[in-house]
Amino acid sequence: MAPPAASQRYPSPSQPSGKSEVSDLKTQLRQLAGSRAPGVDDSKRDLYKKVISYMTIGIDVSSVFGEMVMCSATSDIVLKKMCYLYVGNYAKGNPDLSLLTINFLQRDCKDEDPMIRGLALRSLCSLRVPNLVEYLVGPLGSGLKDNNSYVRTIAVTGVLKLYHISPSTCIDADFPPTLKSLMLHDSDAQVVANCLSALQEIWSLEASHSEEACREKESLLSKPVIYYFLNRIKDFNEWAQCLILELAVKYVPSDSNDIFDIMNLLEDRLQHANGAVVLATVKVFLQLTLSMTDVHQQVYERIKSPLLTLVSSGSPEQSYAILSHLHLLVVRAPFIFAADYKHFYCQYNEPSYVKKLKLEMLTAVANESNTYEIVTELCEYAANVDIAIARESIRAVGKIALQQYDVNAIVDRLLQFLEMEKDYVTAETLVLVKDLLRKYPQWSHDCISVVGSISSKNIQEPKGKAALIWMLGEYAQDMSDAPYILENLIENWEEEHSAEVRLHLLTAAMKCFFKRAPETQKALGIALAAGVADFHQDVHDRALFYYRVLQYDVHVAERVVSPPKQAVSVFADTQSSEIKDRIFDEFNSLSVIYQKPSYMFTDKEHRGPFEFSDELGNISITPEASSDIVPAQQYEANDKDLLLGIDEKDDNKGLSSNNGSAYSAPSLENSSNITSQMQELAISGPATSATTPQSSFGFDDLLGLGLSTAPAPTPTPPLLKLNPRAALDPGAFQQKWRQLPLSLTQECSVNPQGIAALTVPQSLIRHMQSHSIHCIASGGQSPNFKFFFFAQKESEPSNYLAECIINTSSAKAQIKVKADEQSTSQAFTTVFETALSKFGMP
Amino acid sequence: MLQCIYLLSDSGEVMLEKQLTGHRVDRSICAWFWDQSLSQGDSFKSLPVIASPTHYLFQIVRDGITFLACSQVEMPPLMAIEFLCRVADVLSDYLGGVNEDLIKDNFIIVYELLDEMIDNGFPLTTEPSILREMIAPPNLVSKMLSVVTGNASNVSDTLPSGAGSCVPWRPTDPKYSSNEVYVDLVEEMDAIVNRDGELVKCEIYGEVQMNSQLTGFPDLTLSFANPSILEDMRFHPCVRFRPWESHQVLSFVPPDGEFKLMSYRVRKLKNTPMYVKPQITSDSGTCRISVLVGIRSDPGKAIESITLSFQLPHSVSSADLSSNHGTVTILSNKTCTWTIGRIPKDKTPCLSGTLALETGLERLHVFPTFKLGFKIMGIALSGLRIEKLDLQTVPPRLYKGFRAQTRAGEFDVRL
Repeated sequence: MAPPAASQRYPSPSQPSGKSEVSDLKTQLRQLAGSRAPGVDDSKRDLYKKVISYMTIGIDVSSVFGEMVMCSATSDIVLKKMCYLYVGNYAKGNPDLSLLTINFLQRDCKDEDPMIRGLALRSLCSLRVPNLVEYLVGPLGSGLKDNNSYVRTIAVTGVLKLYHISPSTCIDADFPPTLKSLMLHDSDAQVVANCLSALQEIWSLEASHSEEACREKESLLSKPVIYYFLNRIKDFNEWAQCLILELAVKYVPSDSNDIFDIMNLLEDRLQHANGAVVLATVKVFLQLTLSMTDVHQQVYERIKSPLLTLVSSGSPEQSYAILSHLHLLVVRAPFIFAADYKHFYCQYNEPSYVKKLKLEMLTAVANESNTYEIVTELCEYAANVDIAIARESIRAVGKIALQQYDVNAIVDRLLQFLEMEKDYVTAETLVLVKDLLRKYPQWSHDCISVVGSISSKNIQEPKGKAALIWMLGEYAQDMSDAPYILENLIENWEEEHSAEVRLHLLTAAMKCFFKRAPETQKALGIALAAGVADFHQDVHDRALFYYRVLQYDVHVAERVVSPPKQAVSVFADTQSSEIKDRIFDEFNSLSVIYQKPSYMFTDKEHRGPFEFSDELGNISITPEASSDIVPAQQYEANDKDLLLGIDEKDDNKGLSSNNGSAYSAPSLENSSNITSQMQELAISGPATSATTPQSSFGFDDLLGLGLSTAPAPTPTPPLLKLNPRAALDPGAFQQKWRQLPLSLTQECSVNPQGIAALTVPQSLIRHMQSHSIHCIASGGQSPNFKFFFFAQKESEPSNYLAECIINTSSAKAQIKVKADEQSTSQAFTTVFETALSKFGMP
Repeated sequence: MLQCIYLLSDSGEVMLEKQLTGHRVDRSICAWFWDQSLSQGDSFKSLPVIASPTHYLFQIVRDGITFLACSQVEMPPLMAIEFLCRVADVLSDYLGGVNEDLIKDNFIIVYELLDEMIDNGFPLTTEPSILREMIAPPNLVSKMLSVVTGNASNVSDTLPSGAGSCVPWRPTDPKYSSNEVYVDLVEEMDAIVNRDGELVKCEIYGEVQMNSQLTGFPDLTLSFANPSILEDMRFHPCVRFRPWESHQVLSFVPPDGEFKLMSYRVRKLKNTPMYVKPQITSDSGTCRISVLVGIRSDPGKAIESITLSFQLPHSVSSADLSSNHGTVTILSNKTCTWTIGRIPKDKTPCLSGTLALETGLERLHVFPTFKLGFKIMGIALSGLRIEKLDLQTVPPRLYKGFRAQTRAGEFDVRL
């Protein structure tokens, strides 16, 4: 049944939104509150249902709180559930009124029906009103000892909720040790699983300021505990199994037997019907065998088939998540799916996000043996009804061509695309042909003959047009009518809306001019004149620059604009292998979906598994709220943190920023003047061999046209930038510390707040980490603490090592610095001291 | 761990909100999400994992209903998606489908279910048989009862004993007067036939579906005559792994009622039961199209409900299609469906006609993909055969039933 296309979202027009309905409800509820007449539960239920439905559609019904509580004396379990739901929703906003509910909830916690006991306990813990925690401890304590497992399960989760409201109450009531004993001895699997989940969370939050919690957290990863869970993993439900598998990933096995034992225990999990379990198991297998190369390869063989099954048997959403992971695996081990490429053939009905990932997979698994079939398949998609997919598949063909050595057949296919005479196919193909020519110049004759026959009028898309123009300029000597096509395009300068195309036109006209001066001279003149008059800054600058360099010396201009080129052997990869490794470490997490390691898209405070920021959760992000400045700013800040805005494919950015620099505002010259001067130039042009003075300008650097490979010189940053994710293993640290000479010793004082915060070494370690200085070892006890830190330059693997001894009684710190680059050790010391001086500051 | 679950109608209205942790998620996230999905078009709308400025959103869409979950912390994405799929399955099982009206009419039940399925952001019980013990489905009988007795509680008084037992999928001690167990082999054939008529890919995805109504604690063994053809098996948690590893026998204590025992795949099939031969020629603005459909290799049972559907390319302005058998319908969105039913004995069904292209176009550049649908009762095309089903202790009045059927899954014929 199709619902009406209501534009108003909430509340929908048929539903009441006014106050009168709510106050009506209030009166009706009040009337029922004391009544014991037969059938009263039915009318209560109707009213409750109304209240809840208002709540659901977003109407504030908190004003009937008191009446709802008054009516809650009932034996009807559905009524109770509705009441719990209501109370849970509004208690936080009405802490005073919530006190009213405590009474009936506590009574229900002693009900003889275990279901009511459980539900009441759950609601009691979900009130989350800080000043009511004292009422929680009693019921929770008895809940943990309840003889019914359902109640115990809820009580365990309740402890965790209590911890989040008030950690101290939870710790003081000695709940964690109780949970630990439940975890190890309870007969019910769900209780055990909940204990594990709660303890993991509590201890990892406590570990920052309690040595004991730290030890307890470690103990969860001890061999007996891990085996206790793994041996009975089948008793747990699928979600708890995921939890246990996550725990097992962190376990460090003692030897290879240990590894094989665990893999044997978990092998059948790969056949589980729940994809989450399978993927978690895969992660355990991969992580366990990282150090054993040959076993690691066998693991790839073993996990292949379960993963492929998941791709094809689940819902599209599941396939999407799995395919993202497969893509990660295939990048690390391209051979594994090479024979199974048919799994990634797109079916017509699949959603485009799945198709897109499948195309990426096909590109990644292509090798000598299967390229022909894969390219044949991809070519069929080019005629697909879905234009986005057609484009993607053409790009995929191009990518395969660029990564293969035998491109013969692929080039033919690409050229066939050009004959399809569909504008988007032509445009995409032109871009690819251009890239191919940059890598395989030997194909130019075959390609150029086809490209030359394309009418530029049929191409609308800037990228395709730019590619065509690039080829016209680059291969002007092979295409007889290149100057005339360019001339045609230049004559329509005004109608060309894309700055990118106009930039390419300028360059192509220049290149063409160097090769076939007499034919191009006029067109170049017009182009430069139009370019100088162009309103777009980059176009203007480039035209002026060309004009001046031509005026200076034509041969220099040729060397600058059209130097002999080397074939590109490998196109720059967008992601470094270090980042890929990091994503691999975060297998089975969001990192894989976003193809970024978590530090690139999560806030630091969210990086840990269980920490939240309360404010963040409450930010309202309605567009209407943007008048309110504070949330709007936070919105923006968060947006940056998430790195949503980065578009890696936008190569124009670099181009324009390169061009914009280092040019003083030019004085505009009369454009007709330019044309006439051009004529003079051409006459005396390439034929005359003028003696060229040594060019002292770095013109190559200014042209970001892909002609010169040297990047624009960046000024050295004033401050030393450190790599926030620097990594160094302890062995390497020790070796370096021994080898490097001491470059600096410094003594400084630590502010009193810092001393106060330095009760345990961990607090300083975390603080320094937020300044990208990492601790490799620490020790000592009050008043003497000793730390070894290291840091890395952001741009290059240049290390700084530091020893820092802090004496809390004298509030002094002694710093010894060693560095790979002696020259920057002073800068590092400054950074270090600044970071240290901020320690303890709010 | 998930912080909040929303159910949105197909117009973006929040039908249900379930906060899971102490950190409330503001409802405005839904408005943000909906604006995004509208502005980004279809591809964004269906992307299952999205980063919003404040939260990570997981979504699945079922029958127009969007199940949206929010999280602020790193978590396995597949777990969230699997869980949402499970929620959708359970709801459609309970309510007999998911749509706006059903959810709005039964939102209390949905709340109750969510309450038991997830606590503090971590999934608890998603096993339908256990949930059914805790919360009774809103069936006709209970509605009748509530009218008659005035007691409308949809909660059974007993507590889910299975929730804690070592066989978490089975309630303790169900009792039946007659013991029945049914095994269905349900197979789907996925195939791609390319432009040259070659079979690029052909495989069968199959499920063993069971309906067990057995008293007590039955221990079953199911064996196949030819288990070696199976690949990529996935099992219900009740299946013991070792017997399968050693002698390819399924040994298990079944859940009560209907469930999916296992799924499998049979690859590299060489033959399809039917063929589709499309031909298209285009010249000066019009196309001639003709499609033949027939039986390639007789499976031995009747092939029923044969349909052929395809999307006319955008560049087609009008179509005139007719067939010598069955009916042809063209919807306004240019989806063309040819309902054939059974193949007649005396002739080969043929669809033919002309397509007029938009003015200015000489030839057709985008070609449709034909999707074939069919159903064959009584046979599993993969060739999988059940050998026997044994019970360790045979209860009185036992009835065992076996069935098989095959239908077309994603059967694409490209032109």
